[in-house]
Amino acid sequence: MKKRSAGRKALYVILIVYAIITVIPFLWALSSSFKTLGEIVSGSINFIPKDFTLDNYKQIFTREPLFGRWLFNSLFIATIGTLLNLLFNSMAGYALARLSFPGKKSIFLMILAVLMIPFQVTLIPNFLILKELGWLNSYQGMIIPGAVNATFIFMMRQFFINFPKEVEEAAAIDGLGRFGTFFRIVLPLAKPALAAQTIFVFMAFWNDFMRPLIILSDQDMFTLPLGLNSFKGQFISFWNYIMAASMVFTLPILVLYAFFNRYFVKGIKFTGDK
Amino acid sequence: MKRKKWLSAFGLSSLLLTTILSGCGNEENSSSGKTEIVLSGWGGNPTEQKLLNEVLADFEKEHPHIDVKLNTISDQYMDVLKTRLIGGTAADVFYLDAFEAPALIETGAVEPLNKYVTEDFDLDDFEKPMLDAFKNDEELYGLPKDYSTLALFYNKKMFKEAGIKEPPKTWEEMEKIAIKLTDHEKQVYGLGMLPQIERMYYMAESRGGEVITDGRATFADDKVVDAIQPVVDMHVKDKTAASPSEVGAGQSAGEMFGRGKAAMVMEGNWNIPFLEDTFPDLDYGTAELPTVNGKKGTMSFTVGYAMNAESEHKKESWELIQYLTGKEGMEKWTSKGFALPTRKSVAAELGYDSDELRGSLVSGAEYATVWQDGPTLPIVMNNFNNQFLSAYLGDRPLKEALKDAEKQANREIKVTE
Amino acid sequence: MKMFSKKERREAGQGYLFLLPALLVLGVFVIAPILYAVFLSFHKVELIGGASYEFRGLDNFMKVTFDDRAIIALKNTAIYVAIVVPTQTFLALVLASSLNAGLKGQKFFRIVYFLPTLTSSAVLTLIFMWMYNQNGLINYVLKFLNLPTYNWIGDPDVALIAIMIMNIWATAPFFMVIYLAALQDIPDSHYEAAELDGAGPIQKFWHITVPNLRPVTSFVVIMGLIGTFQLFDQSYIFSGGSGGPNNSTLTVVLLIYQYAFKTLGTMGYATAIAFMLAIIILVATLLQRKFSKEESLY
Repeated sequence: MKKRSAGRKALYVILIVYAIITVIPFLWALSSSFKTLGEIVSGSINFIPKDFTLDNYKQIFTREPLFGRWLFNSLFIATIGTLLNLLFNSMAGYALARLSFPGKKSIFLMILAVLMIPFQVTLIPNFLILKELGWLNSYQGMIIPGAVNATFIFMMRQFFINFPKEVEEAAAIDGLGRFGTFFRIVLPLAKPALAAQTIFVFMAFWNDFMRPLIILSDQDMFTLPLGLNSFKGQFISFWNYIMAASMVFTLPILVLYAFFNRYFVKGIKFTGDK
Repeated sequence: MKRKKWLSAFGLSSLLLTTILSGCGNEENSSSGKTEIVLSGWGGNPTEQKLLNEVLADFEKEHPHIDVKLNTISDQYMDVLKTRLIGGTAADVFYLDAFEAPALIETGAVEPLNKYVTEDFDLDDFEKPMLDAFKNDEELYGLPKDYSTLALFYNKKMFKEAGIKEPPKTWEEMEKIAIKLTDHEKQVYGLGMLPQIERMYYMAESRGGEVITDGRATFADDKVVDAIQPVVDMHVKDKTAASPSEVGAGQSAGEMFGRGKAAMVMEGNWNIPFLEDTFPDLDYGTAELPTVNGKKGTMSFTVGYAMNAESEHKKESWELIQYLTGKEGMEKWTSKGFALPTRKSVAAELGYDSDELRGSLVSGAEYATVWQDGPTLPIVMNNFNNQFLSAYLGDRPLKEALKDAEKQANREIKVTE
Repeated sequence: MKMFSKKERREAGQGYLFLLPALLVLGVFVIAPILYAVFLSFHKVELIGGASYEFRGLDNFMKVTFDDRAIIALKNTAIYVAIVVPTQTFLALVLASSLNAGLKGQKFFRIVYFLPTLTSSAVLTLIFMWMYNQNGLINYVLKFLNLPTYNWIGDPDVALIAIMIMNIWATAPFFMVIYLAALQDIPDSHYEAAELDGAGPIQKFWHITVPNLRPVTSFVVIMGLIGTFQLFDQSYIFSGGSGGPNNSTLTVVLLIYQYAFKTLGTMGYATAIAFMLAIIILVATLLQRKFSKEESLY
């Protein structure tokens, strides 16, 4: 179909080169997770382990009786937190993009402005508030403060701005109210943006380290990064275990991604002129 | 509380607080009539962790009315501890590194211990420098749980191949044999060393200079510069010393040594179990650090147990500290050799002074410089290490780098005032 | 005050209702802490051991002028921002358009390119530090290609560059994902119309793709600015928290962190620096808006 096959070839070269650059660190970590410590510290550069071993993984699962509990905590917090974010951020982004009301501009500027303050200075006041609420060491203390994310309110706003107006007008003519339009028409059409948001918000909860480190003090309440970190503390120079733990930690995200991948593929996409 | 007032001043209470404000103080385990106290520390290796749990179980057996909850902070220990102290949710008893102690003591967050200590407890049994590290004007704020000095670890096989019979006694001797042991082809260095002030503080002050005077950095003094010049020279001129990161061992001189990239390293007790686990076949010995300027010297690192001044169970907390740093508790804790006992009687009991590998570490205790020098040390350390590296890499003369670092450190100290 | 029609009033009510959950959460957990920080920035504060505040006026803001490290940190951060933001934005756009070009195997590439986004920055930093080792993978490849090798982590001349490379590598895919999602929204009809006019792929890219992505580009650049100005994790892990060697990896937020957590009694100064940083970011954001000619941001 396309005539410019030279352009295509160039495109392929870019894609392949970048894919190699991307994948190497992972292969390296993956292969290390199957190596013995002796082989890792010997400093040789080989991607295929000389003495292939599954021992590192076995150690992680058998040494840590609480591993399952941590996994559950992480999944629970990240899932609920993500759902709340999807709803609240999209609602706020939509209001800022499509509705007109007094104070809209200042609210938007404020949401942008809070992003500019580094979290290191709000960490302690945040901790004090959670303490006053009695939410330390609890699920709600982990979920509610992160239930809204200014970054993604901003992102959703930028997406909704480009939205074809005709869709909403048609919905209004069909007698749908504002909420009906939003939930039944607008949100379903915003799937690609929502999919991106899902992955990023989930990731943010999943990887969050500093907040749980301060908020959670019970081993039972630990999330996976905290648990794995205490693991890391115990095996400070055991690169084989650390790499295996990192791989275990990354796996659930890969599964999640595999599931949402289809929303990024052209074809499911909507067009404004339905 | 003043803090609460401010929060409400910002109109928070109107939002949510008032409804949910719950006075959740320290949890009292009322059902069993036991008092629960919380102990915070950083995690050790699994064997160490198990050992601590055993010691705590023994304590609970002897003190049936107390329940100890171990709360491990796995990373950024001091940040988390400080935040929890601010919020009033910190543990009753916590680990405190001597290096961090003076600044924290100044805030009033650490309970003074003089009033608890009895004759029976036998304070004189402790190695004095380690105990003094937790004192401020005769008032005691923590009890050292264990310590380690630095000793010279040397690779026996490499020494034999180079025809060296004995570990070096003086710094000059060490410089000489390091030349023989270095093999640039194979990326093997005579000495592996972290270019950090915490490893060479004793050297820096060996010619009469002071790193810190009255809370101000004074390490650009010629006496200090001359004293540590040999460290730079070994790296830049002789090229017989290197830092672990140069041979791909990150920040671990122990790994550099274990991989045979350094024939000698100056490391502490922690290196012994590490080498045993990671490089079980390595044939090595230890010796006291070579003398500098004819004087013996080494560093000593110690961690103590301290009590939260806001603890609601001070009596029970003291019982715990007393047990853990008492003869019985300390003997058990240090029995596996992960750390050295700060009580002389325990060290003698366990025979570490005559231990083949640990003997030289124990001998160092009496002349060691404890890694603690007042509340400004963290700032001084940060600025020193930051700039010393450029001299160590040969990018600029040592004097010049330290002058800059000193200036910056003092400005930073001024900022804190 | 002008009168609102019934319809306008209803729409305003709906607007506030849509915003309510977000404002509630942000109010309690973000804005209130920021207000508290504002208060701190005018005081000398010691929060540990029964909080004590001492009003110091603008003292904390003036201190910056004689704090050499603050100047160095700002310089490092500015260099970092100036290089990383344009590079990662452009890279993200190119990668996203390539992935969207309908090539065979793009599903595979899409999964591969996502990998860095799906891994926590702590794990990534560990992996990279390991590859940056003196005899690690990167030097091995450089040696193989007969290029000079570096002590990536230890050498002040290259440490910041090492962090830049790592960060571009890790962040570009994040923005690529957002571009990719935005590309789905451009109606095919636009491209078809351009093809009828005889436009090639390059022209289509510049005349259709780029203009249509403007709101999203604005998001990407602003978030890039904020993210890079607030660089912390990587320089913290690389330097063990010191910002060394020779202050080469000292960033503004690392400095803020040191004053907030490492040194006692400097919380007020830390917050003052944080607000000055926020103002710098704000100015940079407004400048980018001016240059990007985006009409619909407000």
